[in-house]
Amino acid sequence: MEKAHENYRELIWVLAKTDFKLRYHGSVFGYLWALLKPLLTFAILNFVFSSLFEIRGIGGEHYALQLLVAIILFNFFSEGTSAGLNSLIAKSQLVTKIYVPRWTIILSATLNSAMIFCMNLLVIALFFAWKGFLPSVGAIVSFVFFALATYLLVIMFSFFAAPLYVKFRDLAMIWEVLLPLLFYATPVFYPLQLLPAAIQQTLLVNPMAFIVHFTKEALADNHYAEPWQYALFGAALVLGLLISMLAYRKWIPKVAENI
Amino acid sequence: MIMHNDTVITVQHLSKTFKIPHEKISSVRGAFVSMFHGKRTYEEFQALDDVSFEVKRGEFFGIIGRNGSGKSTLLKILAGIYQADSGMVRIDGRISPFLELGIGFNPELSGRDNVYLNATVLGLAKRQIDGKFDDIVRFSGLERFIDQKLNRYSSGMQVRLAFSVAIHANRDILLMDEVLAVGDANFQKKCLEQFERYKSAGKTIILVSHDADIVRKYCDRALLLRNGRVMKLGAAEETLREYERENISDHTPSISA
Repeated sequence: MEKAHENYRELIWVLAKTDFKLRYHGSVFGYLWALLKPLLTFAILNFVFSSLFEIRGIGGEHYALQLLVAIILFNFFSEGTSAGLNSLIAKSQLVTKIYVPRWTIILSATLNSAMIFCMNLLVIALFFAWKGFLPSVGAIVSFVFFALATYLLVIMFSFFAAPLYVKFRDLAMIWEVLLPLLFYATPVFYPLQLLPAAIQQTLLVNPMAFIVHFTKEALADNHYAEPWQYALFGAALVLGLLISMLAYRKWIPKVAENI
Repeated sequence: MIMHNDTVITVQHLSKTFKIPHEKISSVRGAFVSMFHGKRTYEEFQALDDVSFEVKRGEFFGIIGRNGSGKSTLLKILAGIYQADSGMVRIDGRISPFLELGIGFNPELSGRDNVYLNATVLGLAKRQIDGKFDDIVRFSGLERFIDQKLNRYSSGMQVRLAFSVAIHANRDILLMDEVLAVGDANFQKKCLEQFERYKSAGKTIILVSHDADIVRKYCDRALLLRNGRVMKLGAAEETLREYERENISDHTPSISA
């Protein structure tokens, strides 16, 4: 049987572009919202934790820079996973009325978040320029690595959860509660060092905590994780990806019947 | 060589059963409860039972049957949306894998954007859509409205645009689920002409309907399904006679009762 569809790349791209267009459709600021959202979150957290709670004293002089980068990374994760989780249900017509490979639908939803993340990089660049801060090469490499790792997390979550969500609709509510929990379990607005030493190690088991913590460390102090920590992190990513692909293959054939 | 290529669709001993849980479990809590209450009870519904047939190149093939006879399930398996439990489906050539018109249409976008979106979903590359765009719009007769938002279109206009994209998707085998009842007489006439052109170009069309008149009008051969089984396979006229007999014999008792 010949392939019914060979323009996967164009299909994914058009779906992602349409999502992007429709998301800000009809709003006055339009695409600017993609930039405003992390900036406003940043403004609030920066005000609360540097004027009211004075965590800044512990966080050091680069608190604001670290906070902005951390927010944008976590935002990428939360938006990407939510979009991925919803992808099949949101586009149920593409599942039940036509055959397109289902992974294209999931991937295009996550790609939409990746596009917003890329726009946010502009915000980071402008903010750094305004502050007159030039990150080291190591910090930039580390950031790129962790940004890709975040996208990998988004993908593995989405491929695991989207077919499952078709059957278990509670998943959306569960994830809505888990996301804020993960946010507080990730050193976004506080430095990890603020916590007792025993808890610090436990917290780093959360991959987003690992990503955000070492991105911030690299940025401010050129401090990086140990090689064994990177190795463990990489192995966990590969294992997670493997599990999610197996789950996807197991659940996807029946997805049109269950939706 | 010609003989070899003659059959474009082969379906052999196709069966499909749906498991319908008595209490639909669609939450984690439900899953836990049913885990502790022992095994779940299913209602089995056999949508297709040992269905076999072949479709030749260039044929206009009808699948007819009443609601719940398994027509749509069969079409969804041909399209690749459902997976069969057993049996074999072999398809030579590119099949149009959609059952509804205007998949992906979004009312917030312009007609133009929707043409691109829908055509991409149907498997066309942007370059191909660029080349066909004028033809698509001309066929739909919506030149004046193409840059308006789709939510300004009447439902008839939306269907015309959708149908126009569908026939330009350029597939060897087209699956059609009850779409001919749309549009006014003029548009239906255009569709018929398009079908004739398809036929002479050696394309194959599979039309699913519960309406005998539509099948009579277009199809060469037809398949009659009832409760998932093949009741009759043959020339359209013979199959339709069987279908009409079935309808009458089922209606008679209810009249006397």
